[in-house]
Order: sequence, then C-alpha cells, then structure tokens
Amino acid sequence: MKKLENFGLYQKSFEHDSCGVGFVASVNGEESHQIVLDGIEILKNLVHRGALGGDLMTGDGAGILVQIPHEFFVKVTSELGFNIGDKQTYGVGFLFLPKEKNLREKIEGKIEVIVKKEGGNILGWRDVPTRVDCLGDIARKEVPNMRQLFVSFPGFAQQELERKLYILRRRIEIEVSNRAFYIPSLSSLKIVYKGMFVASQFEGFYPDLNDINFSSPFTLVHQRYSTNTFPSWSLAHPFRYIAHNGEVNTLKGNVNHLNARLGTLSSEVFGEDIKKVLPVIIEDGSDSAIFDNVFELLVMAGRSIEHVMMMMIPEAFGNKFHISADKRAFYEYHSAFMEPWDGPAAIVFTDGIKIGAVLDRNGLRPLRYIITKNGKVVLASEMGVLDMPEEEILEKGRLAPGKMFLVDTNERRIKKDNEIKASISRQKPYRRWLEENRIELKGLLQPPGPVKVHSDSLVVRQKAFGYTFEDLNMIIIPMAENAQEPIGSMGDDQALAVLSDHPQLLQRYFKQLFAQVTNPPIDPYRENLVMSLMSFIGREQNLLEETPKHCHQLKLAHPILTNEDMIKLINFTEYNFKTCVVQAIFNTNNCINLEKAIEDLCINVEMKVDEGYSIVVISDKDIDKEHIPIPALLATSAVSSYLVEKGKRHLVGLIIQSGEVKEVMDYAVLIGYGASAVNPYLVFETIANLKEEKNLFKDKKLEVIIDNYITAVKKGLLKIMSKMGVSTIRSYKTAQLFEAVGLNEDFVNKYFKGTPSRIGGIGLDIIEKETLIRHGTAYNDNNPSQILESGGKYHYRVSSEKHLFVPEAIVALQKAVRSGDYFLYKEYSQLINNQNHHLCTLRSIFTFKNKKSIPLEEVENIEAIMKRFTTSAMSFGSISKEAHETMAIAMNRIGASSNSGEGGEDEERYNLLANGDNRTSMVKQVASARFGVTSHYLTNAREIQIKMAQGAKPGEGGQLPGHKVNKIIAKVRYSTPGVMLISPPPHHDIYSIEDLAQLIFDLKNANPKARISVKLVSEVGVGTIAAGVAKGKADTILISGGDGGTGASPLSSIKHVGIPWEIGLAETQQTLILNNLRNRVRLQVDGQLRTGRDVVIGALLGAEEFGFGTVSLVTLGCVLMRKCHMNTCLMGIATQDEILRRNFKGQPDHLINFMRFIAQEVREIMAEMGFRNFNEMVGQQDRIEFNKEIKHWKAKNLDLTKIFMKPRVKKGEVYFCNGNQENNFTSFIDNELIKQAVDVLEGRKENIKLFTPIKNNNRSVGAKLSYEVSKRFASKGLKDNNIYCRFKGVAGESFAAFLAHGITFELEGDANNFLGKGLSGGRIILYPPKDFISKSHNNIITGNVNLFGATSGEVFIGGMAGERFAVRNSGATAVVEGLGDHGCEYMTGGCVIILGSTGVNFAAGMSGGIAYVLDIDQLFDTRCNLEMVELESLASQRDIKFVYQMIKKHIVYTDSPYAKMIIDNWVEMLPKFVKVYPIDYRKAIERIREEEKAKESEVLTITEEVY
Amino acid sequence: MDRLDGFMKYNRQTAPYRPVSERIHDYNDINTYLVEQDIYKQAARCMDCGIPFCHSLGCPLNNIIPDLNKLVSQGLWEEALRRLENTNMLPEITGRICPALCEAACTLSINNSPVTIKQIELAIIEKGYKEGWVKPIIPKLENNKRIAIIGSGPSGLAAAQVLRMKGYDVTVFEKSFGLGGILRYGIPNYKLEKWVIDRRIELMRKSNIKFETDVNIGEDISYRYLKTRFDAILLTTGVGSPRDLQIPGREAKNIHFALDYLQKSNCFLSNEISLEDSISVENKSVVVIGGGDTGSDCVGIAIRQKAKEVLQIEIMPKPKEWNFSWNPEWPLWPMILRTSSSHEEGAKREWSILTKKFIKEGNKLCGIHCSRLEWIQSGNSSSLKMVEIPGSDFIIEADLVLLALGFVNSEYQKLIEDIKVDRDEKGNIKIYAKYMTSVNGVFAAGDVNTGISLVVKAIFQGRESAKAIDEYLSKI
Repeated sequence: MKKLENFGLYQKSFEHDSCGVGFVASVNGEESHQIVLDGIEILKNLVHRGALGGDLMTGDGAGILVQIPHEFFVKVTSELGFNIGDKQTYGVGFLFLPKEKNLREKIEGKIEVIVKKEGGNILGWRDVPTRVDCLGDIARKEVPNMRQLFVSFPGFAQQELERKLYILRRRIEIEVSNRAFYIPSLSSLKIVYKGMFVASQFEGFYPDLNDINFSSPFTLVHQRYSTNTFPSWSLAHPFRYIAHNGEVNTLKGNVNHLNARLGTLSSEVFGEDIKKVLPVIIEDGSDSAIFDNVFELLVMAGRSIEHVMMMMIPEAFGNKFHISADKRAFYEYHSAFMEPWDGPAAIVFTDGIKIGAVLDRNGLRPLRYIITKNGKVVLASEMGVLDMPEEEILEKGRLAPGKMFLVDTNERRIKKDNEIKASISRQKPYRRWLEENRIELKGLLQPPGPVKVHSDSLVVRQKAFGYTFEDLNMIIIPMAENAQEPIGSMGDDQALAVLSDHPQLLQRYFKQLFAQVTNPPIDPYRENLVMSLMSFIGREQNLLEETPKHCHQLKLAHPILTNEDMIKLINFTEYNFKTCVVQAIFNTNNCINLEKAIEDLCINVEMKVDEGYSIVVISDKDIDKEHIPIPALLATSAVSSYLVEKGKRHLVGLIIQSGEVKEVMDYAVLIGYGASAVNPYLVFETIANLKEEKNLFKDKKLEVIIDNYITAVKKGLLKIMSKMGVSTIRSYKTAQLFEAVGLNEDFVNKYFKGTPSRIGGIGLDIIEKETLIRHGTAYNDNNPSQILESGGKYHYRVSSEKHLFVPEAIVALQKAVRSGDYFLYKEYSQLINNQNHHLCTLRSIFTFKNKKSIPLEEVENIEAIMKRFTTSAMSFGSISKEAHETMAIAMNRIGASSNSGEGGEDEERYNLLANGDNRTSMVKQVASARFGVTSHYLTNAREIQIKMAQGAKPGEGGQLPGHKVNKIIAKVRYSTPGVMLISPPPHHDIYSIEDLAQLIFDLKNANPKARISVKLVSEVGVGTIAAGVAKGKADTILISGGDGGTGASPLSSIKHVGIPWEIGLAETQQTLILNNLRNRVRLQVDGQLRTGRDVVIGALLGAEEFGFGTVSLVTLGCVLMRKCHMNTCLMGIATQDEILRRNFKGQPDHLINFMRFIAQEVREIMAEMGFRNFNEMVGQQDRIEFNKEIKHWKAKNLDLTKIFMKPRVKKGEVYFCNGNQENNFTSFIDNELIKQAVDVLEGRKENIKLFTPIKNNNRSVGAKLSYEVSKRFASKGLKDNNIYCRFKGVAGESFAAFLAHGITFELEGDANNFLGKGLSGGRIILYPPKDFISKSHNNIITGNVNLFGATSGEVFIGGMAGERFAVRNSGATAVVEGLGDHGCEYMTGGCVIILGSTGVNFAAGMSGGIAYVLDIDQLFDTRCNLEMVELESLASQRDIKFVYQMIKKHIVYTDSPYAKMIIDNWVEMLPKFVKVYPIDYRKAIERIREEEKAKESEVLTITEEVY
Repeated sequence: MDRLDGFMKYNRQTAPYRPVSERIHDYNDINTYLVEQDIYKQAARCMDCGIPFCHSLGCPLNNIIPDLNKLVSQGLWEEALRRLENTNMLPEITGRICPALCEAACTLSINNSPVTIKQIELAIIEKGYKEGWVKPIIPKLENNKRIAIIGSGPSGLAAAQVLRMKGYDVTVFEKSFGLGGILRYGIPNYKLEKWVIDRRIELMRKSNIKFETDVNIGEDISYRYLKTRFDAILLTTGVGSPRDLQIPGREAKNIHFALDYLQKSNCFLSNEISLEDSISVENKSVVVIGGGDTGSDCVGIAIRQKAKEVLQIEIMPKPKEWNFSWNPEWPLWPMILRTSSSHEEGAKREWSILTKKFIKEGNKLCGIHCSRLEWIQSGNSSSLKMVEIPGSDFIIEADLVLLALGFVNSEYQKLIEDIKVDRDEKGNIKIYAKYMTSVNGVFAAGDVNTGISLVVKAIFQGRESAKAIDEYLSKI
C-alpha cells in the first residue's frame, strides 16, 4: 500500500471522506447469492456519490460486508485440500499483504506463530483471485497481495470465538507492524471484500463474488468519496462492524477520552487478555476506522451492537423532546462515561447476525428504505438503488434524525427505533441509578448573588490578566447588557499575535476550526434542540462495566460557574465527593520559572487525584506582586494532557478558576483543551464594579447582568461548537478543535499535542516573557496611572496593536485613486508594504529570491492582468445600491468581475445603461439562504460562486434584521419588507462533499456556460477539502483568509476563526499538485489584499485570480469606521439609510484607477523577478523566502519552509490551470427534453407534452431546460403548462431544480433529496405509482430538503416528504401529505399545506410565509418551534377558501385518496387545521395592506392569493 | 450610546462667544458654555470609529478622543477625566486655546460637521475641578532623583507633571516673574484668563513640584551648578526671536513686535508693569502686518484698547472662503479663510499686500508704502510665485504697526552657549532619538526644539521628553 506522504503543508490526517452507504437483507435470514448481487447493484447505483481520482479511473474505495459464505468456502477450501469444518466454527481472515514475496512470507510466518501462541490452528491459506486489469492506474500500482486465512480455536464458539479472533487480530496488528499489511476482517461470522474501486469495477475485480455459492442473508455496502486522492486500500469501508457516511467531528476528544479510560479498563469476559488488545485505537486510521475500533471493543466486552450504537451516537434527549423517561435516563447515565462521537453520520452496522442503521441526532445524512412483502429490506442513501416491482412493496420509509433501524436475522424480524431503544433502556434500572447517585448541588447555578469587589487592586489585577478599556466596552459590557455576544464588522487587520509588539494572551495564538463542505455546521439558535451544554464531571468508572456508581458525578447544566457555585462546590463533602483547589501561580523570586511551575502544577494535581478528589480547581486567584499566574490555557492543557498520559484524566473533573477569562473564545479554548467548567471570577468582579462604582447598567439588578453575561457565553459556546458541527459540550471537551499559528513544534508537542501548528514560532520562553511583561506592567510601582490601557485590538489606537490599514494609508490611497496619481499610490503601498516596521501579516515577513530582472516593457500588460481581479463578495443589503452598482460598473469596464454577494440581484441591472455601462455582477453568489437565486439569476452569471464559508465568520449564518429589509432589498431577495431574513449556517443541501458535488452539478445544468466556483476559508486541511471540491468538478476554488471582511459578525468570530490565506493557499496548491488536480481548476485568493506585492505573493503561492474587498470600498470612500452592522455608514456605503446614501461619492474611475495601479505594481515586481507573463509566476513557491533581516523578537522564530515548498510535477505539466474539468455534466434527459421542446422554446409552438422514464442516476432533471427558458423569456418564463413533462420511475436528486415558470413536471414514482430546489415558477406534481398498495400519507415518497430556496411555483406531493421540507421557501405554494423534522425552517414567504403529521422543530426561524397543518392528534404545538410564529385556527373565509381550493387542486393532480377523504369530511376536518403565521410577517402584511388601501382605495379588491 | 447614531439625531452645537458689543469692553473670557445636557448630546455624536482619525492624525497628543466621548455620553465624567489626564497634562489650556486639529480630522468632517471635541475636553476638565476630582499628584514611590526644567511654558509644565508622577523631585526654573511662559505672556486674557494657569500651578505646587521664578539660568545660576545638583536637565525655553521686517523706515518709533505688544498688554493687566511701560494703541490707527493667529490676537487687544481703526494685512493671497461645516481637505488642517473672534470685533483685513517701506514723519510712523501682489503658479510645482502688480502702489495711513511675522529661531541664551548643545541651521536645539540633546543628560522639548509651533505640540513634547528622561534615568 502506498505510504501517504506528508508534503509541505499537506498532511494525510486532514483527509475526510463521505459517500453512499446501504444494505440489502433478507429478514428471515435466508442466504442467497441474489442478496450479494443486489448489494453490488446498489453500489453501482450509488456510483455518483463516489468520486474519481486524478487519473479519472481510480475510485476512492468501495466494499461490501457479508455473512461468511460457508458453502462457498467449503467448496474452495476443499479444492485447495483442507477442511474448514462446520458453519461458524472457524474464523476467516481477509488479509492485505505486501507484494514482495520475502516480506510477505515473513509476515505469514509470524502470523502462524501468533495463532499457535493463542491456542489456535491454521486450517489453511487461500489466495484470493483478483483481476487487476479493471483498475485505474493509481489503484493498480498500490494493489496488495490478497490472501485469506482460515483458523480454528477448538473449544471456542460463538461470542467466545469472536472474542478470541478479535484478540488474535489485535495481536497480529500490534506485532506485525508494516504499512503494507492490513486485515480487513477476521471473524467467524462476517467477511469484508473491499478496495480502491468505483462500484463498477468491483465485481470484476473479485471473481469470488460472482460465484453462485457465494451467498449471504445480507450485504452491507459502501461507496467512498474521499477529499484526497491517495485513497488507501485499507481505508475503504466497510470496516469490521460499520460502514459510515459521515464524519466524526470530535475525534480528537473522543480519542483522548478513550485513551485515558484505557488506564482503568477491565472486563470479566476478557480477563487478562484485555491487555493484548491495547491500545484499542489505531490512531493512523480514519475517523470511521477509529470509531469501528471502539465500537468493536465495546461489543466484544459484552454489550449488544444496538446498545453500543446508542452510547456512541446518542439521539438528542433534551427537554424539548417528548421521549420516555427511561430512554432519557439511559442517555444521561451513559453520558457520565461516554461522550457522543459527534458529527453527521449515516452508519450501517452489523455483528454478522443483526444488521442495522442509525442516523446522527441531526439527521445530516439521508437514509431511505423499502420493505417488501416477501421480507426483503433495502436501505440506502437514496431511493431507487434497486429495481423493485411496486406491488411487492409494503412500506417506504426513511430514517429520522437519531433513529435506528434493525433487521434481526435470528429473530427473523425488523425492529424499529422505539422497540430497540425501549428494550435497551430497560435492561438495567438506569433511571433509579441516576436518581440515587447523580449529584446536583442545591442552589448551584441559581441566580448569582452579590459579588465581592476588591476595588483597590481591581485595575492592577485586570491589567495583569490583559484587560483593556476596549475589552470592557466592546466585550464585557455588551454581553452583560444584552446577553449576546457583541457584533462587529469589516475584517481583522490586526497584526498576527506572533508579529505583535505587545504581549499577547496565549489563546491569541489559537484559531477555532470550523466545518466546511465535508460536514455542515449546525444552527445553534434555530436547531438548538439538538445541542446541549450539560455535562457530568467527576470520577469516571470502568468503561466496560455498568454499575450505579458510574453516574456518581456532578451534573452541570452548563460549564460556567459563579463565585457562589465555587464556594458551594468547595464546601461540598457528602457522598465521598470532594473538591480541592490547586494554585496555578509562580514566584520568580524563588527562582522558579514557568516550565518548572507547570511541572509542579501537574504533579500537585496528580497527587490530589491519587488522594481521591473528584474535582480539582486550578486557580490563579492568589496572584499578587510576587505571584505570577500561569496562563490559564497552558495550565489547563498541560494538566489535562499530563493526566491523559498517566491514564488518570477520567478520574477527575478540572475546573479552571481564572482571571484571564473574558470573552467567549477564552472559554472555548479552555474547554477544548480539557476544562470541565470555568469560573471567571474577575469578570464577575469587573461587572460588579462597573455596576456599583461606575453606575452602569442603571435599572438592571446585578444578578440579572451577571446572568446575561453567562447567557452570552453560553450562546457563544454553542455557536463555536456548532460551527464545527459539534452538538454537545461533552464531546467538545478536549476535542482540541483549534489550530495554532505562531507556536513552535516543541512547545505544541509538549503542551498541546495533536494541535496543528505549521509555521513554527515562539515557545515557552516567550510565553513566559509575555506573562512577565504583563504582570510587571500591572504591578509597576512607577506607573501611577490607575486606568486600563485603551486597547487597540478592534479599533485603531496609536502606539498600541499594529493594524494593516493605518490612517495615513487610507488618506494616501483615497487621494491616489481620486487624482489618478500613481506616485501617490506608491506612497500608499509603501505604507502597507513597509516590511521592517509594519509586520502585520505573514506575507510581511516574506521576501522574493532569485531575482532576474527584465525590462518592464516585456511584461504582460495591465489590461490582461486586471482581468484576474474581482471585488470580493458583498451583498446588496450589506452595502448600498450605489456602492454595489459602482463596483459592478467599474469591474465590467475593465473586463474583470464583481461579485453579487448573497443577496440576489435586481433584474433591472441586466439592462445596459445609456452610456453602455453594465451593472450586472458577473459573479453570482449562491449562499446558504439562497436569497434571489432563481433560474434567471443563474442564467445571467459568468461565474457562479458557492459560498461555503466566509472569512469573517466561517461556519456561521447571519441575519438581516427586519428594519433593514426595505422594499428594494425585499424585492431582490424575494421576501417581504420589514421581515427579518436569516441565513442559516449550513447550506441545507450540502451536508457532505457528495452533496456539494451534486450542487455543482445542479448549477452546471442551471447555467452550462458559467464557471462554478467554491469559496472556502483558510484553515488546516483546506487543501484536502479543495482536492475534494476539485474532484466534485468545480472550475474555481477561492481560498479566503480568515481575516476577511463582513457586514456583521460576532467579534469573536472576526478575530478567532480562520487562518491567514498564505498558509491555506500554499497548502491547497501543494495538495492539488500532489493529487494531479491542479491543471483543471483555477485558484483564487482574497482576504485583506492591499497592494501589488500581495498579488505577486498570492500568485507565487498558487493563485491565479485575486479578490479585493475592504480596499475596494476604501477607494470608494470607506474610512474603516467599522460600523457596517449599524446601518450608520457615514460614507453611504454600508447603509440603506436614504439620507446617508446620498453621501456616497465613489466613482467607477476610483476603483478602476486602483485596479490599474495594482496591476502596474504587479508588473514592476514581475519585471524585477523576471516573469514575462503571469502564469509563469503562479505556484513558484520556491521564489519566496523568509526575510532574514527581520529581527522581531517573536517573528524571528517562525519557520515558513513548509509554505515555500514547491512540489515537483511531471515534465511538461504546469503549476496553473491550463485545462478544464471533464464536462460530462449535462443531464441526458434534459438534452432530450430541450430537443423535443425546441418549437416551444423558439416560439413556434404554444405548448407541448412530453413523456420519459426516469432513474435515480438522472439528476438535476429540469435545470437545463429551465436555463433555456430563462435565457429567452427572462424571469417571467413561459405560460402555464406550456411545457408539460410526465416521468415514471425514481427520480434522482434535485428533480425539477430551478424549474422555470411555464414548465410542469409530473412524476409517477419516487423522488430523492432536493426536489424542487430553487423552484423558479414551475409546477411539480408527484404521486405514488398506481400499483403501489400502501397508503400515500404513511409512506415517504420524496427525500430531504425539498423546495429549498424555492422562490415561486406550485408543488403537489401525494405522500410524505423527509426532513426540512420547504427550507427557506420564499414564494412557492406546496401541498404535501406529511413531513419530517424541521419543516418550513427559515421560510420567508410562500405557503405550505400539510395534510398529515410533521416532525419536531416545525417553523424554526420561519419569518415569513404561511403554513396550514392538519393537526389530527392536536399535538402540533408540541412539535412546532413557537419562537417566531403564532398558531391559530382557520377563521377567515379567505384562508378557508384558499386551503379548500388547494386541496381540491391536489386531488386533481395526484388523485390522492387521502386528500379525497379530507374533502369528503371537510366539516369535521376544517376545525383541525392550524394556521402557522409568523409574527413579524403578519405585521408586515398588515402594514402593506394598509399602505395599499391608503394608496388605491378605489381599486380595492380582495385578491385570493396575496402571498 | 450603544447605537452610535447620535450624529443622525443631533446637530453640532457650540456655545457662542459673548456678543461683540459686550466683550470688546473688557478683557474677560469671550466664551460662553453649553449646559451638561447639551454636552452629552454632542459627545453622543461621536461614532467611535474603527480608525479614529481625530486621535491618530488629528490630535498631536493622541488623546483617545472616542473613549472620552463615550464616557461623557454615558455620564462617566470622572473616568473620562482620568483618561484625559493620562495623555493631556493641561486640558484646561488646550480646551480653551487649541485650534482643534482633531475636529478637522474627525470622520464627521468628511461630509457632516465634526464632533465638538474641544468643547467636550474643556467640559471634562472643568467638571473635574468643580467636583474636586483634579487632585495633586502623589507618586506611589519617591525615587529621589532630581530634575531641572528650564522654562515654565506648556512643555515644561507638562513634563514636570509627568516626571512628578513617576516619583521625581522636579524643579521648574523661570526667568520671568510669572509662570506659564507663552500661556501667561503671549495669549490674551480674553482667550485664556490667567487664573486658569494659576489654578494649575497651585495644584503642581501641592504636588511638591518646585518653582523658581525670576531666575535666568546661565546668568543667575550657572549650568555647571545645575549639572551638579540635578540628575537631568530639560530645556523648554521656547522660542523668542520674532522675524523682523527689514525695510526702509523700520527704525521708526511705533513699530513693535506683536509678542512684545501682547506680553506688555498682559503684564499691564496683571499689574506687573505700569501703563507707561506698556504699549497703548488707544485712538490710533493700527496696522498689523501678518495674517496669522498672533496677528489676530493683536487685533483683539488693539480693539479692546480702543484703537481708532485696526487693519490686518497679509502678504499671502486670501485663502479660499469656505462656508460649509465639513472639511474640504480632510483629515488635514484646511487652508481656508478663518475669521477669528477678533476679526468679528471690527478689524479690516487685506491680502496679497507687499509692504515696501515705512513712511515716517520725523521718527514717528505715519504710513506704510505697499503694493498689491498677484500669486501665480510657478512651473509645474504646486507652489506659488509672487508677482507685483505694476502701478498698484498705495499708502496705508498708520500710527502704529505691529509685526506678527512669525519667529525665526530660538532666542539666544547664555545657557545654551554654556551647554554647547548642537543646533540646527534654524538655530533650534537638535535632539536625537528620545529627546536627548548632544549633551548627555540634557534634554530639550517644545519650541526650543521644533521652532514655533502649537501649544498642544509643546505639551506633547513635554510629555514624551519626560518619559524619555524616566527611561534614561531608569537605565543608569
């Protein structure tokens, strides 16, 4: 197997995978070869969920897991001359071995010895026949030698035999440590066949599978899509127990916790043998492989697979869920010793007898199933993976979030979620155990009381812990006042911590990680029911047992403790549960340095653990002039990792009591590195001081403001967790979801092991120095001023923190662009680039090398270079119409492009102005809220950009408050003036890399001429994500710096998330080159780009295009007030205020001048470097080096060599994009439809009716047809039903996406996810096949996330839909017979009528539109999220008539018997309807009606449809 | 003030001067003051900019203006005072007489009207005095090192306070009878009443800062002596040599330097000199040559002394008139026509006038021979070249002329001779990094170093030189 090499910034551990999974099973346990063939068929039909490597042949991996085909093995072994005995009495191992004969034989010999030592017999070896010729180049090179090993253990059977085989396998794995050696499976029950294939290559490769004797009662399958292209044979799924479509976001925390628990592991069934399996986890493996390792251990120790799955992937069990008390107790009990393995997941799992599937708590992966009359179950990521006669089908369903599904071939029946969980939850008296043992301190977490303020020393202590006046005003006061994290705007141009001249708190060197592409962030506000801050802290018991003592721990509702909580806790001594305090301070007078102090601290804490304390408080409360605090983060991480190493971490809860903690980031790092809870005593003192002595917070009580502050921290923590897709604090703890920037390897390895830190930097000595400076300044007797420093992190202050944009630079730049004077521009660029005095960014410490200057005239001209420039995405809404259009005009004049941002675009702008100017944004953004994304919008783009993340707040959504949504904004966003608009954190149609590939596919169809670009934000591993995106066939990838701008974002996100683009871009370039993907995808970069030098550095690191955001605004008048979020922009740029907008003085020429200046400066540097044309320069990473003249005390420690490593390419290949993505995008069906409808499209014919069968691999059907319509007829489309298409079969994903007005799609059959995505006026009709026997409203007919971002049109669904129906619908009208969780989420307009049940969290974030729900059991209000909506019955005739008519229409279209029944019983049914009416929307509608009435009272007619 | 949109709600409002008809009859403060409620609103107009140009490019002291505005708008006056005092050692002075470069640089000056920063500053410090929050300095630790400061102008006073805070034993030497230098002797009372200075001096005395007046170092006390008694010496002697106008008739009586005129006027008012020793212009036709601030101060005094008429002439062309509330040259100090309080009081002004000769009757002045100028663009540079308009000669009748033509170099002093410090070509004392002169342990700050400049810049230099002295002495 190929060694996955690390190169430059690329590391194999960054890889992600995702995919299609499924199984087919015979409920009665009957083995058949057909089941195996069915499995392979499913794999083939999931092939579009996988991906191909750089050779376009090598798949990322595929595999199957089956019950051991006994008959088959009897046959083949007897041919080989040995006897394997009876069914399930022997073990079969599938082995990947090295190709070299000697090595292989050596390993085999070793294995035989181990088998004997364990008391087993070798029955024989078998070479597995393979046909390598059907593989791709990459896979073929790496194909291992495959052999099967047959062993027996006399006297062992069933569970014992399996356990024996497990121990054997672990011993072999440990003792034969060779990279080219791997055991896919070794079991008496099941066997895995897998490899680096795409599904179609699979059956050809393993002839075994075609043998008629090769039979099984079930087949579990997996098709992999990996972000990297060094897929390894061993990382293909399935593993021994599971196949996983998803990602474990909290892996590092889970592994850390588990490794600690190994210290006290014991098991009756294993006895002494438990030692042989240690360490349980093979850390080299993928997240799924590690999950499998732990799953296996827990199953082997005696728990059932369902039980283990419930422990590791618990469903959400917060109070908002109406679930059984026993089940809630089960989950709570287990959370005391196992944290969730959190992340999106669709897992299929089996122990060889039972086979099941489970979804994560948020349902972020799809799983659909069908059950047939004759007892076959087919479950897969999509519907339609196996052809099945409709009349055979008994039930069509889907797994709901957190739910489980199981086929028990022994008991010969299907077990659904309720049954499984009820029996597991009651197998032990968990509820009673909890009640008797759980500790909840009375009064703990009650409203806080008075706080003692030591005002004489307050300022000094604040200074010692790094407080500034700015921290009070911008962070602490707003949090205490509003119970919200403070908001800011624009980017972060403060110097990196490692380049700052001032001492920095340690956490400033850390950046939060966030989810992009491979897993979705969660919405912590609208979907907070899946999130939890609850945790247990204290002493954990043996993982492999279950006793009442296991939950004898302290339960905390959230991790922030008040000063009173601390007193209570420390004084609490009952039930053998003790707490002690250890001081984390040191005294330099005693010649103790920081290193020694940390050592002492670790030993002290360990002693306390050994003495039996359940909780240790690490405190810096006792600081004074002589006693210096150990940085809180350092103390936490050092102690926590020390205890992990000693195997004692799980025996104690760590509470950090620190004065350093102020903002949300401080809490996040502490918890992320091991704190169970935090007591920010100095914040409380500060707040009390502000209230009592400064007289702030006038009418609020102290306990209220402290409570507000705590609430703000809680919200902030939820937000930080959710942006990584983590839903519980239990799994966030110690998950280390951070990246360090500017800390050296020794330091990180010692105290923050496992945290990526890729450019070296400072170590403990400087950290100590910074701490001492801070302390020294605070306690300096010579410094009389009893006030805090002003600050300078957020707002510029002279002689404080450096910022990239100094005031002089702004003045010079504006003068330059207004006068067109290049010399003035050079003054400006000198101010920015001045590298010896103005170190702010990484690039400021770079210098060029190997210069070979050429005459300037020989360099490519300005015009050509400017075409590579773009203005970064800024939505109309965040900035004014004037500013937005000026940028578009300027960029279009020079043949470059501007970016629409996420707010849609007024159609008006597609018309040229009288002077020929074009106001169209050439780049159109598609963001999570899909505002204004219609077929027509997409048709008018030259490039479509999918915004996965934004530098200022990656992983977060946003909201535009109602008062900013004026008429024109509402128009382009297809919403209602005055109604708040929410952008969700995730794209609800992108929960995984294969979903992104699907969206790219959708957009390529929606506009076949546009380039598709994907915007990512720089973080560790962005290169591998980019590789995945390249494989998903994006044309451009944008790497944004973490410092990029925003119109509004929490300050902590602006500051602490995302890393400099220099690292991310270099990593991306290296990874793409190494994967042979670079030449087909263009790279763009943005993030605080300012000068020509920045462009050249970007180019050398791999970018060929460049985005300018903030600086473009500065050319148009922006002076960095940083008030974009307040609507008070004095320059008329970031405001919608009519009066302020008149202040806008920017001219297209100003921006054009700037672009010309930049291009000219680029040319000058190119001439100096010796580059004639731009492409020559791209990717020449080795032409940059560290500027050795820089002697900055911190910066000089950086090691940038990884950034400057240039991978080698094959001769003749290049470092830039010189090709295209292979274009196999166009959907076959659409081309046919377009051909047949050409007469209508060309206006020669009024209308046409078409028919075609359809399959699940026909995806995005309708998008391209709509493009043809929009191109010709603009947004109004055709007349109703002008193109009428009938389909029969199972439609693939994104059926009828962006369907334009005048097109009707009628589908008899089933649909998959994303039906009607971006619906743009068309009509969709869906009903079950005529021969389907079950009731429509009880069966799932379409998948998840239907009608996402629909803007208009009609939909009639004769059956149930999955999760998130009509998310962000802003105008479509739909009738559906039932739906899953999160229905109508974020809806802003349109209307949905639901004739059946709904899942939970209905109407979350629904700010507009109306839903009518037939609430049969009158429990709808318990499932509805009532935060923004009111529920009422249908009172007005208008409502009644409307609903009645829509149902009638539904009957006409779908012939639904259920709907008929409702109409037949209308009198009884009507009172059961509930109208869901958003509060703001009602007000807005009423206001609009009033206005209309006032305006045109003479023509007042009540229209039927006002929506 | 969490919304920060005060500028959209409130207009800029400053307190008017007292009516001309009233104020020209006395030398008292011409200002009136806003009530506290109005000050809150004015402070709330501050937008708390991401880049506060007022603080960074405007204020030479780098007063952290947004913080002050914020605190005032919250009603946290004492905290505002502490923050103001941290950067500005004489806010009651700058709050009265600073031209307020900060307001020119205020972001609201781009297209609105600036925050009334100066007025807020004055309100903070005056409230501080009123409430008793302005207190003598009590250093945490006395360090027993001695500093001599020569000159009690703004630079010296600022430095003295900073050094005292750091625990130094500070003595300020002043050659005049009264303390304050230019503040006391150069600025008319109606702009700065002298009790304001006395109040500060009193506070400084209570802080144990020693003052030695009427002592001319170099003559009354030798440098050598000083050197032995003090650990460091700071020269803040200011500049004293006015630029002269060497044209025929210059020797006539009744031609005075502006500063002499102002100084004598102030001295007379404080009873330091008698009427005979002062310069009175009562009933005279006064011509002030020089259109700057000093000239304008002369105008104000002359009017109060009941001159028959006052004319101010300037060689440079008339700056552009600008009647808008915003700054056309933001964030720089704009070159626009400024009308001071004195001009409102009844002076005439003329520009582009070349003074060629003083006309005498005997040795008594009776007129000025002038001609008119045209200023033309010279070549491609932006500087202007003056051309005399042929035949434009004319005569201005004048009984008394005041020369307000700026200053050329620092006044010659024996002390400076003795110390033998390096000086630049203009005669200013050269400082090297960190305010030290070419002589170890001798520092210089203020006009003596920079040449004639603003009071606020002198305070800045005083503050920074004190820090430099502290750093220097801490290292020894």
